[in-house]
Amino acid sequence: MEVYRKSQDDDWQAHMDRYVGLHGIVTDPDMVKNDPEALIEVTLDGEGTHRLPQDCLRPLKD
Amino acid sequence: MGKPVCPVADTIERLDEIISNGHLKHARCRQRAEEILKLMEDVASGRGGSEHIPAMEALASTLQKEGPDAPCKKTGAMLVSVLEEHREVFKSHLDTQICPVTDCARLIPSPCQMACPAGIDVPSYVTLIGQGHDAEAIALIRKDNPFPWVCGLICTNPCEFMCVRGRIDKPISIKYLKGFAAERAMSDGLYRNPEKAPPKNQKVCIIGAGPAGMTAAFFLALKGYGVTVLDALPVAGGMMMVGIPRYRLPREVIDREVAMIEELGVEFRLNTRFGKDVDFDQLTSEGFEAFLIAIGAHDSHKIGIQGEDRYPQVIDAISYLRRVSLGDRRKPGNRVAILGGGNTAIDAARTSLRLGCEEVTIIYRRSRSDMPANEEEVEQAEEERVRFSFLTVPVEIKGQNGKVTSLRCVRTELGPEDESGRRRPVPIEGSDFEFQVDAVFSAIGQRVDPTGFETLKTLEWTRRGAIKTDAMSMETSMPGVFSAGDAVLGPATVVEAIGGGKRAADAIDRYLSGIPQPKMPPVPVRRDRVEFLEVPASTKMTLQRPQMPMLNDERRRVTFQQVELGYSENAVREEARRCLRCDVCVRCGACVDLCRNKMGIDALKLGYLNFDHQEHTDFRVTAERCILCGACAANCPTQAIRLADVGQDRILSLCGTVLNRLKVERCEVCGRVIGPERYHDYIAKRIQGTSPRLKKGLLCLDCARETGARRHTEITPPKLTV
Repeated sequence: MEVYRKSQDDDWQAHMDRYVGLHGIVTDPDMVKNDPEALIEVTLDGEGTHRLPQDCLRPLKD
Repeated sequence: MGKPVCPVADTIERLDEIISNGHLKHARCRQRAEEILKLMEDVASGRGGSEHIPAMEALASTLQKEGPDAPCKKTGAMLVSVLEEHREVFKSHLDTQICPVTDCARLIPSPCQMACPAGIDVPSYVTLIGQGHDAEAIALIRKDNPFPWVCGLICTNPCEFMCVRGRIDKPISIKYLKGFAAERAMSDGLYRNPEKAPPKNQKVCIIGAGPAGMTAAFFLALKGYGVTVLDALPVAGGMMMVGIPRYRLPREVIDREVAMIEELGVEFRLNTRFGKDVDFDQLTSEGFEAFLIAIGAHDSHKIGIQGEDRYPQVIDAISYLRRVSLGDRRKPGNRVAILGGGNTAIDAARTSLRLGCEEVTIIYRRSRSDMPANEEEVEQAEEERVRFSFLTVPVEIKGQNGKVTSLRCVRTELGPEDESGRRRPVPIEGSDFEFQVDAVFSAIGQRVDPTGFETLKTLEWTRRGAIKTDAMSMETSMPGVFSAGDAVLGPATVVEAIGGGKRAADAIDRYLSGIPQPKMPPVPVRRDRVEFLEVPASTKMTLQRPQMPMLNDERRRVTFQQVELGYSENAVREEARRCLRCDVCVRCGACVDLCRNKMGIDALKLGYLNFDHQEHTDFRVTAERCILCGACAANCPTQAIRLADVGQDRILSLCGTVLNRLKVERCEVCGRVIGPERYHDYIAKRIQGTSPRLKKGLLCLDCARETGARRHTEITPPKLTV
């Protein structure tokens, strides 16, 4: 997936701005995949694993 | 947004340009600049020490103040400014041996280490396990995570999602290797605590003895703080103990790792609920100077259907699992329904089977492929004969005489995708039916239980009901009060809680020591540079990720014995040999590019190097084409590729994988090694027509020159000038 924009969510913190544009993998899809409101565990390329709001993420096309 | 730039690599580039362009005319000035450049290159390559930054600062200051001309002073001023502005980054390079921006090739972290929320140096410990050094591997893991055994059994392993080996076939079985090493180290009596720092006269109180709280306790105790951990439960472990069933994580595993933390002098006050048995003022008056709230997410969401609160046999799955974990092994009924499709639902169902329930049914409103539970656990539940009713929504719980008797449900079908791409279940009219049940467990999500914290008026909460916490400093809205784990994230994973606990311990240490809090997320630390395991290319390609041996189905249905029985020692050692050592090979692709485009040989089939456009990988192909010219090794920025002469052979290896081995030939005159025949053929072909071949056999360069010169003087008389 891609972090394609900043999130409007309360859980988006200022340092996360630099994640915009990065690609990554949802590493814990099991917990929250049917709950768009939940924070989702994402491993960003070169930036480690974080829980992010889902409104800033979009799947990458194959 | 552009890629961030590493100030270390950037300054090296700038300084190198200044020196090589001849801007520094004065010899003494140029010499000092070269000394600074050398020190910076040490920092960028992992060879620096604590003296490097003061030495660079002193030299830069001398250049600025005592420089004989303007370019020298200007260069000095630039360096002083960089070192002042980015001192933390330079220090981080030295302390962690990691360049998070990935500009300093030798300090690029492996994807698995970056993915681990606890930042464990995975390639180093996998290699140590491959060498049979289990206790050393565990000591290395415990520098970042005090629960290697627990994580070796139940971690959600984000490291394996990012494992580069997965681009070739299957990821390294990192989790199970860790579990094996921890068990072996514990069994051998070699699972030991590191040295503690001298005691400090400062006390920290941790509320919650789960993975986050105990991880913080471990690291704070090691730093010399007096640590007390409170927990409402009668046992330490939090969700690891009361949320994860014993057939996945035996109690002894948790007990033994908790005992290691207790051995450091951490005091546990169990059966002590914050806000009921003790309050903030009491704890402050006991002399605690900092607090960590790590209470987990032990409360459950309501189902919201009729009859939910009417019968004692209707409870949330988290409470049910807790009750069973704490020793209540009574059968809840013969027919049990579990509502939900996540891991907790699966755990509650499999637990019910083990307690003797005859019919255990998971009721889930979507289809099987939509289930949020881990696929392996769903399969294991099916093997154990848990029943599933998909596309089913409960609408009412019915009962008689204070006991549940049935669950009324409707069938659903999946509607069109909504804006998030999910298909919502839509009830089918007239499809009502009833399940006969004796107990109903709801497993539709967890949340933080704020009970007891109402008195902390200035403690702020998020709209998700978690404690509002700065992700960098882990500090809450109350000064000196920190928070970590599920209390901050909502229901997350054990390894995330461990990572949060480690960050909180660092933040509390900074707070109590008067050091400013970090402004960026922590950088993982490279703990070692372990020598490679030597593996032939064919073995590297053919080794398979081992299958986990399982307890037989019949015993799984009736006992809480551990289901996953663990790898054999041989399987573990072999599995470690599949690791590609991405802590050293940074997948820059320079070797492939050189071999294919400059040498025209194309002997390196390393398709996995390219993340976005993966091609075929086969380490064995190299031996068919490679001439052992060594161009790849000479240009590898991290020495991942090595060329070495061993006995009569010349060997090319990539992180220990032997790609090619050929016999070398020797100079017929002096006996010096001059490379393999295939290499000579390549050279001969390349110079064909441009230079005559010597008739004499194999000669080294020096002997060839000597012979050539002799022939030249023999056939060409010297020109005499008068």
